[in-house]
Amino acid sequence: MTIKQTNENGKLTLALSGRLDTVTAPDLEAALDSSLSGATELCFDFTDLEYISSAGLRVLLKAQKIMNTKGSMKITGVNETIMEVFDITGFADILTIE
Amino acid sequence: MVFTLILTALYNAILAVLIYIAEKKTAFGRIGYKKKQIIIGILFGAMAAFASTRFAGVDIGDGTIMNVRDAAPLCAGLIFGAPAAIIAGIIGGLYRYISAFFGLTGTYTQLACSISTALAGFIAAALRKFMFDDKKPGWIYGVAIGMLMEIIHMLMIFFTNANDPGTAFNFVKICSLPMMLCNGFSVGAAVLVISLLGKDRDAAQFGKRHISRTFQTWLLICIVVAYVLTSTYTYMLQSQMSNTETETVIKTSIDDVDQDIHDTSDENLLEKTNLIKSEYSASSDKSAAFLQSLADKYNVAEIHIVDDNGIIVNTNVPRYIGFDMASGEQSAEFLVLLDGTQKSFAQEYRPQSYDSSVAYKYAGVTLQEGGFLQVGYDATEFRADIDSTVKKIATNRHIGENGCIVICDDEWNIVSEGTDYTGYNLASIGIRIDPENNAENTIFSTDFNGKPHLVEYEYAEGYYIVGVIGEEEALFMRDVSVYLSSFMEVLIFAALFILVYFLIKKLIIDNLTEVNRVLSKITNGNLDVTVDVRDNEEFASLSDDINSTVNTLKRYISEAEARIDAELEFAKQIQYSALPSVFPPYPNRKEFDIYAQMNTAKEVGGDFYDFYMLDDSTIAFLIADVSGKGIPAAMFMMKAKTIIKDLAESGMGVDDIFTQANAKLCENNDAGMFVTAWMAIVDLKTGIMSVANAGHNPPVIKRANGKFDYEKQRAGFVLAGMEGIKYRKTEIQLSPGDQIYLYTDGVTEATDKDDKLYGEERLINLLNSLGKNDMEVKSLCEAVKRDIDRFVGDAPQFDDITMVSFRLNFIKGGNKLSFIPGKDAGAAVSDFAQQLTSKLDVLPKISSKVSIAIDEIASNIINYSKAKTAHISYSIEANRLNLMFEDDGEPYNPLEKEDPDITLSAEERQIGGLGIFMVKKMTESMDYKYENNKNILKLVMALNS
Repeated sequence: MTIKQTNENGKLTLALSGRLDTVTAPDLEAALDSSLSGATELCFDFTDLEYISSAGLRVLLKAQKIMNTKGSMKITGVNETIMEVFDITGFADILTIE
Repeated sequence: MVFTLILTALYNAILAVLIYIAEKKTAFGRIGYKKKQIIIGILFGAMAAFASTRFAGVDIGDGTIMNVRDAAPLCAGLIFGAPAAIIAGIIGGLYRYISAFFGLTGTYTQLACSISTALAGFIAAALRKFMFDDKKPGWIYGVAIGMLMEIIHMLMIFFTNANDPGTAFNFVKICSLPMMLCNGFSVGAAVLVISLLGKDRDAAQFGKRHISRTFQTWLLICIVVAYVLTSTYTYMLQSQMSNTETETVIKTSIDDVDQDIHDTSDENLLEKTNLIKSEYSASSDKSAAFLQSLADKYNVAEIHIVDDNGIIVNTNVPRYIGFDMASGEQSAEFLVLLDGTQKSFAQEYRPQSYDSSVAYKYAGVTLQEGGFLQVGYDATEFRADIDSTVKKIATNRHIGENGCIVICDDEWNIVSEGTDYTGYNLASIGIRIDPENNAENTIFSTDFNGKPHLVEYEYAEGYYIVGVIGEEEALFMRDVSVYLSSFMEVLIFAALFILVYFLIKKLIIDNLTEVNRVLSKITNGNLDVTVDVRDNEEFASLSDDINSTVNTLKRYISEAEARIDAELEFAKQIQYSALPSVFPPYPNRKEFDIYAQMNTAKEVGGDFYDFYMLDDSTIAFLIADVSGKGIPAAMFMMKAKTIIKDLAESGMGVDDIFTQANAKLCENNDAGMFVTAWMAIVDLKTGIMSVANAGHNPPVIKRANGKFDYEKQRAGFVLAGMEGIKYRKTEIQLSPGDQIYLYTDGVTEATDKDDKLYGEERLINLLNSLGKNDMEVKSLCEAVKRDIDRFVGDAPQFDDITMVSFRLNFIKGGNKLSFIPGKDAGAAVSDFAQQLTSKLDVLPKISSKVSIAIDEIASNIINYSKAKTAHISYSIEANRLNLMFEDDGEPYNPLEKEDPDITLSAEERQIGGLGIFMVKKMTESMDYKYENNKNILKLVMALNS
């Protein structure tokens, strides 16, 4: 998995590609830990993300909890497979998916 | 008598042997040096005392005993030690001194003998200490010292009896030779016997050194020549002086007697002449007949009246009328009566001028009227007149002390009185004088009473005056001085010899020895020592030269060393660079870890390791050690490494690689080098490791759940050792987590300062004691290296220390993945999942589900099961994917897990259980069982929905 970060005026965008699974989830967590502090708006671009496992969900949940207190978070470009996971797990209700 | 002396002389040797044996075989040898010296001193002191007694020596009168006493302290000193010599000398000297008071020994030489025995002790001590380096000298020196000591002894006798040289000389003359010989023999024999017993192990270096031996020889020759020359000269000079002196003594005595005889005869004739003159002057008859009557009356032969002109004018012998007194030599002497200076004149008995065949004695007195009256005696008359007087002249006359003087008639019959031989003919008592051969007034030798005597004679007024003196007495002074000067010369030359020896030893030999000692150190490789002999200019300069040579040498050596070091360092770098040295070498390959390290010794070694991927799923690795060290080993190593790699990359089995590498390495291997090697090829898909061993140390293998152990399968012969060797391969099934540790003998044969080996046992114990953190391939090698360093301490490293560590993390082959639930397991599982989904050729949605299922179950096993190994396998049948998860962790049934509440808000959501929940939703069926201590979970997923 690769993570592409852009940050403009407090808007942090993370474009993920590949798989967000047990192996790669810690990378994303680390990226968020280092970049999230000054951001008021967080955007995940999932266009090139193939799938997400529960480890990835955990990171997203953690990010959502943080952004709930200081701004907003949204996810874009979610494919069918990932959307199914969000649906199964009830994450579709929690997350802002565009 | 002499036998007694020789026997006594041998006693010293016997005592020495007994002490020697006691020292070697009994407790006596173990007592301290001081005690031993005292005991030996006392024993030899007793021997010296014994040698002084009548039982051991020869009585030469006056209770003086010829002996071998001085030998004892000399033996003690030369054989056993300085203190013993001094003790023995003092004991012997004291005994000799005290015993004389009790009449046990002679008093005449009491002082001389005591002093010299004590002196013998000190001399032996001094010689041993300063001349023989406190070691036993050679026997010849024993003889010489024994003899020298006796010369000192003899001189002592002279010096202590200077007021009575006669007696002293008598003793010396008798004793000197036998005592010198016996003492010399005694000391020499004792030293020789001990040398033979000890096989000369501790004989003094003295005499072994070439310079000193040559020097001694020449010095000895010079000294002997000088001694012979001076002694001969002294002897001749003294003989000459003695002869002259004796001659003078005898001549003086003879002359005295001669004068007495003359005086007697002159007196006798002048008295008669005066009586005749009185009668002649008083008579008026001046006829020849009257003269004849006077002649008859006074019993003389001739009466002549000589006038003022020296002419016989009247005589009772008519034929002399008119004879001119001046015409004959004999008669002319009487002319002194005519010049008025002398009134009477007596002539000695001699042939007359007128007829030389007739010997007369004449006397004359001056007449009142002028001229003189001469009277002539013939011999017979004359002798009859003086005989009685002459016979008494020699009485009480002596020459020297025992010599005498006698008067003989012309038939050599002794006429003088006062001797036992009066009336004897000289020839009959042994003194034959032949005037033809033995001239008057010359000294000659003849035997008298069986002893040589010196004789001289003189003829006077018809008598022979003979002086006789014993030759011994005459030559006494000569002999004394010859003895004395010889003794002194021997002593002086001996002292000179020792002095020169000392100077040579001190100035040259000691210095040379020191120089040689240092040189031998230098020769043995210690270039840091310096020669520092500064006694004299020559040696100081020699020392400086040697030191500067060594310094130059040292500089050259260090330059050469530096150059070689640099080249070796370069060679080492080249060698190093040929080995893979970037770790981890395959960062993307998670199924194994490999690490290798090589710590080279100072010298370039022949160790090497290597590893390479033969294809995507096969890795080969090896460790090897080339025999020997240095550049040849390094070059052979490069060759071996290249050959093995080439063969391995051509795809053959490990046994064939070794068989062919051996064949290639044997070619042109004139240097006879060889390589031990161990090589493995691991199939990462199956975990099968095929290995071959060419004489290398057995590897250590740790099974995933077990301990490290040596894998001691039978090793083949070393590579390049022999042509035609076939190597075998052994296959070992590895499981994930198995570790292999390879090493060279630099590890097991690392030595500490006591030369103890590190050893296989210590290695295996260490490996098994390592904690989990040290199980990583790199830290494992480092841990071993640390332990070796601890063990070796400061001892230098002699050999390369090389090790390779390999660990198989998981096996991924076909439809199965075996792995250890560890830190890299996730990646392996992810990898496995991707391979599976890419193979399935289904919709991305389906493949994502498969991936999620594998990921979620596997991460549960990895994170929570505490399993040691886990397996994931799959099968596909009728559009259904069967996934099976197997682990040996704690029993856990995911089906019993309660589903999470997915309706809660983000803040309220718990993350746990989501994974299993997702899998449940995505699969057709889930089946769990716990069997044989294993969790087995089976999933069935539809591939077409």
